[in-house]
Amino acid sequence: MSLLRLVGLTAAAVSLFGITGCSAIGVKPWQRELLAKKEMALDANPLDAAIDDHVYFSKEAASGGRGFGGGGCGCN
Amino acid sequence: MQLNKSTTPLRLGLMAASCALLGAPVARSQVAPDGEQPLLIDTGLLYYKEDQGRVQTIEPIVNLKKNYGDDHVLGVTLTFDSLTGGSPNGAIPSRKAQTFATPSGTSLQPVSGVPQTYTTPSGQVVALLAKVTLYSVNPGQLPLDPNFHDRRIAADASWSQPMGLDTHASISGHLSNELDFNSAAVNGALSRDFNGKNTTVSGGFNLELDRINPIGGAPVGGTDYIQLLKGGNKSKNLVGGLFGVTQVMSRRWVSQVNYTYDTSKGYLTDPYKIISVVDTTGASTGYRFENRPNTRTRQSVYVGNKVYLGGEVLDLSYRRGSDNWGIKSNTVDGRLRIDLGNDVYIEPHARWYRQAAADFYHLYLNQADALPTYMSADQRLAEFRATTFGLKLGIGFDGNNELSLRIEEYQQKAAQTSSSLANLQGLNLNPGLKSAIVQIGWRYEY
Amino acid sequence: MRDSSAKLAVESRDGGIVAVCFLAMASPCEVLIETGDVERCRALGMLAAKEAWRIEAKFSRYRDDSVVSSINRSCGSPVEVDDETASLIEFSAQCHKLSNGRFDITSGVLRRCWKFDGSDRLPSPAEVEALRALVGFEKIRWEPPFISVPSKMELDFGGIGKEYAVDRVLAELVAQFPAAILVNFGGDLATNRAPASGPWRVGVERPGSEREAAMLLELSQGALATSGDTHRFLLRDGVRYSHILDVRTGWPVPGAPSSVTVAGGSCVEAGILATFAMLRGADAESFLDEQGVRYWCMRS
Repeated sequence: MSLLRLVGLTAAAVSLFGITGCSAIGVKPWQRELLAKKEMALDANPLDAAIDDHVYFSKEAASGGRGFGGGGCGCN
Repeated sequence: MQLNKSTTPLRLGLMAASCALLGAPVARSQVAPDGEQPLLIDTGLLYYKEDQGRVQTIEPIVNLKKNYGDDHVLGVTLTFDSLTGGSPNGAIPSRKAQTFATPSGTSLQPVSGVPQTYTTPSGQVVALLAKVTLYSVNPGQLPLDPNFHDRRIAADASWSQPMGLDTHASISGHLSNELDFNSAAVNGALSRDFNGKNTTVSGGFNLELDRINPIGGAPVGGTDYIQLLKGGNKSKNLVGGLFGVTQVMSRRWVSQVNYTYDTSKGYLTDPYKIISVVDTTGASTGYRFENRPNTRTRQSVYVGNKVYLGGEVLDLSYRRGSDNWGIKSNTVDGRLRIDLGNDVYIEPHARWYRQAAADFYHLYLNQADALPTYMSADQRLAEFRATTFGLKLGIGFDGNNELSLRIEEYQQKAAQTSSSLANLQGLNLNPGLKSAIVQIGWRYEY
Repeated sequence: MRDSSAKLAVESRDGGIVAVCFLAMASPCEVLIETGDVERCRALGMLAAKEAWRIEAKFSRYRDDSVVSSINRSCGSPVEVDDETASLIEFSAQCHKLSNGRFDITSGVLRRCWKFDGSDRLPSPAEVEALRALVGFEKIRWEPPFISVPSKMELDFGGIGKEYAVDRVLAELVAQFPAAILVNFGGDLATNRAPASGPWRVGVERPGSEREAAMLLELSQGALATSGDTHRFLLRDGVRYSHILDVRTGWPVPGAPSSVTVAGGSCVEAGILATFAMLRGADAESFLDEQGVRYWCMRS
């Protein structure tokens, strides 16, 4: 997939989120009781994620994407 | 609270209003904005084992996180990694026994005592100048370097804090050391909240500098294996950026989209991997050291979701990656956390991964063809599908403490595993990979 | 920043209960936990105290740096409030509606003419009228997360602040340490469950006497809140004027009981019901009967 297509994919996904100012999507502050649960955090299990990232980095050609990993390792 | 037929509208209204007021979660950082939170210790012990006598590793990891109050958070991670076992050296199985040299010592130095000789597949006997150890592989077996061992120590530190009302900043550093590899990295990120914290936009950069000191020296890429020509130490660097948007989609669903871009420059070749050269019948005539381009540009789009499904939490993500080596990848990863009550949960996990081969990937080279500039037989650059199936069990106790056990099975199946050449008939040239992952975790608040 | 550690007192009580005591919101506060681990108790008590002090600092109209003060100084411009303040405003708006306007967090300005110090100094009707013009929740513009309070009007969360703190602190402590816990901030209290030795035994003050408990109540779950004039009232010509003011007239509610204690699911709910009852004056008991809650009314 070319650079252009990938950026286009992101832009489409991002505009879906109404970042251009439309606040139709979202919740009121007092509606956050479920979202506040620890297990609902996007990085709820950082240790599992770090271990998975390390395993897949050493065994596959693609890596990362979710955020920045730490540094590199000589296993790939 | 007892609700019965005679509960007045006023009482109902009051109950609802109270619930809304008290249900409104005060985010952890708000509970003690001027006060610090307990130290969170997250430890894990990973045991990874591939079948067929291949790689195994034991990796303890400790992560410490301390919120000093008002969202000023310090994180420190220490990792120790010990690898043993055999790793494929890139050559394909052959009808005949094969002999290889392990990377060791320094090349081009005379051997004291009886000179070592090495017999090439075509029967030529060569006197070795370099000090090497030889190992043999039986006919039909996938060549594995049995002396593959490594130990790695890594340390990470990160600091994050608010910068003004809706902005957060973070910076982190990483250092790691292996027998043949050293890495230093730094990354920084900035994020800003909008729409009443329903939308968060973040941007970050990543800088990494690596030093590669291959055991025995770095071979000159693409040269004949028999020459065992080795150069000095190498280096590479990586510069990358990330742009992401996190959006609360509903009371039960939060989503994140990230776009990442990075460029690596320098020595990107695997110094220990070779590629078989075969004649028209498929018989091995020799090997070449692999040679990869010295730049690589990668991009990926990642979409992650967390959905609360009436008691269970679903984590579903998709990642699409591509790079200028021709490798395109698709990943779908799903986890479902099921609460069993009494602070116990199970979490089944499934992951599907597919990648296309690098442009310069070849299972083997044909002697008749012109030698390509770049070549690699590393299975990790081949076209393959991989699946992971796993289950995690977590037991919580005493507040925020948790003991967990995770068992997963990872399998890779290559697309290209055979050849029509006579001498390679019936041989599985790329048997893929099967491994087990067992992880014990202990999370403790101190 | 206070030297927090010096302000906590830890003591053992019978039945395997450890109590941590501190001062907050101008009241003696205690947190009772069923546990043998005194250190754990101290740590939890510190958490409770910090949360109480945080809420007090955030919503106190006596502090320049509080959220309430910045709102009260805004002279009509919109002020953006955080999630917690927004929840409290929203709750107050609901209560204003449910009480038909009797419960009003803008009524605080009336204290400028009503000083309930036990004396017989009543304000003049003209003073009261002037201040009544500055009262009325309907005059506030509330468009979450922005609140606009017209010039000279004020918000006062004094009526729900303590009860809110009790509920918050209890929830926070129970989440950290699921033992039997009772949080008691000067008579407004809540518990998640009773200790193994039996229900919590709570004493409710009788007006006129500072320390002698009027009655002993047994609480296994839920909350108790007391609305009363034990310390704040005016006495003139034999008529006791409680500090609960009727915002529609600007004068104290006639015939209000001297104290009402209500049991509810949460301290906030119990507290509002007790306040609503006081606002009904002579009809306090029949109002509470109608609502079907357990209550104790005292009239002197």
